[in-house]
Amino acid sequence: MRWLPSLAAAAVAVLAPAFADAQTKIDFFFPVPVDGKLAKEMTRLVKTYNDSQKDVAVTAVYTGSYDETKLKAQAAANAGKPPAVVLMSANFVLDLKLSGDLVSLEPMLKADGTTRMQFLADFWPALHANATVDGELYGVPYQNSTPLLYYNKDQFKEAGLDPEKPPQTWAELVADAKKLTKGNGDTIERYGFSMPEGYDYLGWLMEALTMSNGGKYFNEEYGGEVYYDTPTMLGAAQFVEDLVFKHKVMPQGVVEAGGVSTNFLAGKASMVLLSTGSLSFIRDNMKAAYGVAFVPRNVRNAVPIGGGSLVMFKGLNDEQKKAGWKFIKWLSSAETLAGWSRFTGYFAPRKSSYDLPEMKDFIAKHPDAKVALEQLPYAKPWFATYQTVAVRKALEDEIQAVLNGKKKAPQAIKDAQRNADALMKPYVDQTALKLP
Amino acid sequence: MRRASLVIAGLMLVVVFFWSTPFLWTLVASFRPDAGAGIGMASLVPDYKPTLANFSDALEAGDFAIYYLNTAIVAFGILAVQIVTISLAGYAFARLSFPGREIIFYVFLLQLMLVPPVLIVPNLRAIVDLGLYGTLLGVMAPYFASAFGTFLMRQTFRQIPRDFEEAATIDGAHWWQTLWHVLLPMAKPGLVAFSLVSLMAHWNEFLWPLMVLNEPRTQTLTIGLASFALGSEGGKEWGVLAAGTLLVMFPLLALFAAFQRQFVDSFMFSGLKG
Repeated sequence: MRWLPSLAAAAVAVLAPAFADAQTKIDFFFPVPVDGKLAKEMTRLVKTYNDSQKDVAVTAVYTGSYDETKLKAQAAANAGKPPAVVLMSANFVLDLKLSGDLVSLEPMLKADGTTRMQFLADFWPALHANATVDGELYGVPYQNSTPLLYYNKDQFKEAGLDPEKPPQTWAELVADAKKLTKGNGDTIERYGFSMPEGYDYLGWLMEALTMSNGGKYFNEEYGGEVYYDTPTMLGAAQFVEDLVFKHKVMPQGVVEAGGVSTNFLAGKASMVLLSTGSLSFIRDNMKAAYGVAFVPRNVRNAVPIGGGSLVMFKGLNDEQKKAGWKFIKWLSSAETLAGWSRFTGYFAPRKSSYDLPEMKDFIAKHPDAKVALEQLPYAKPWFATYQTVAVRKALEDEIQAVLNGKKKAPQAIKDAQRNADALMKPYVDQTALKLP
Repeated sequence: MRRASLVIAGLMLVVVFFWSTPFLWTLVASFRPDAGAGIGMASLVPDYKPTLANFSDALEAGDFAIYYLNTAIVAFGILAVQIVTISLAGYAFARLSFPGREIIFYVFLLQLMLVPPVLIVPNLRAIVDLGLYGTLLGVMAPYFASAFGTFLMRQTFRQIPRDFEEAATIDGAHWWQTLWHVLLPMAKPGLVAFSLVSLMAHWNEFLWPLMVLNEPRTQTLTIGLASFALGSEGGKEWGVLAAGTLLVMFPLLALFAAFQRQFVDSFMFSGLKG
């Protein structure tokens, strides 16, 4: 009887042509960077939207990881089938704008009689930079995260540490990690500290560390500068090297995110840095008592945001643009964002989401989500440059060499800076160095 | 002599064990309760009461019946067309003489050097122009011709002595009758080997179907699997991942088990001739 609803829809279309004419079909591409159940939830969400109104019919398309989503969206746009709305990694927005793939959202704001400032006012300040390029709005924050320190309370007790006092500084982190690391001769059974060191995650965490060290990582206003060869990054890189080789509290070599969370759950790593996006997963699977805390600081508390924003691609007609914007506004409403946040563990980018009663209940029930929320005022933008991915890898490759014991930190950051500068040179030549 | 063969058998067992470790682990992990992780997560020894929970979780993540159907349509559809095109092209390059035959053949082979991702945008444009965007036919179309298959069939045909064809020609057979009744039956080992490679490649393919397909009802198995394998910010649910992997590979595995003798024979046969 599946055809019955469509038959009814056809009848409606015949009887009321105005309805059928007004309906605009658009594609919505979304990746699932957290968990497979999210794909189902997103499909359900889009169905709710389609059922709630008659003007827009959205097809939700699952598109793999953030990287593959970017690839697919660009290929589709190139081939003349641009997706109306894409949930894109927030730090790809600048790059995609520079390559001319994205539509500015300013005309839509104007049509709604609002301004960028008014529209963004309800979003956490740290999210503004990644949503705007050259003073225009290009992305609407949708799902966001920050790094967070997760620690095993049972192991804190066992090591004689106060489980209610997680380390707040790098010095405390090293001291606690030394007590927590348990070895048998040369083999280490349990590491005091561990963090994901695969591509993407490592760059994000190095940003967290250099910012906690007082640094900036990149020029927020200009896509052609990164600050790799700086004292703050040197401190961060040296800290990572020392954790492995001097203090011997972190595993040598590159550990991927899946390995870190698995080790944490299995009690083989006592403290780990992971995304707030892992909260639901850890909460559901951790058997020992655990706590969460701010990312420890050396100079100041600071973490980068991560996650995804909603963007629109060039090549759409006016109807599709309008339909896409309407859908974006629904997806990024305080209620939808609050529901998505509770389901996924991401934080809601709108402040007003947290004023909703169901959100207040949720925070009261889950103190770990509260810590993530309290860290938000210290959040800063995610690095975004010309050729974001390649420039990020320039640093990651070097830090991975440090983790493997093949390079020393001072040399690594110099090489990273040189490679990154070479990658950004075409853009720099066209902009900052293009002189009259 | 006996001792030597025992040693060889022992060594082979060791190799087989190492080679099959990932598969064994997948098998063990997929039936392990507590899908998240546990101390024994990495163990190869089943130390638990087996559960089907991982499989039901994996099956819940997507509409696997449709994924199976779509994947089968894509993989077998491509193969069916390929067998026609590579037999004809291979025959042309092996037996017909026309000006520039060798050069055209090498230009054809050059295609093997191109990395598939380079072709994504041009191929996608062609698919959109043909009106095949979002369809299974769009996924299959770029593979209808195969440089590797053409090469393989050309080599296979060239190894067959011309006497057979001449005998058929004397009996009044047309070239297509010769191809169908004489050459193809003798080229069976080559065809079987190619079918295996082609089926595996297209059954497991991820990126191209992801580019072309746009609706849940047209998606393939690998895309379904990716929805719970690619999460980097969350944790890894190893049990579900293992169960999903088994679900994806099971049909091919069963196919290979069923036709194992034919596959191995065909390789032996072609090996002898080569």
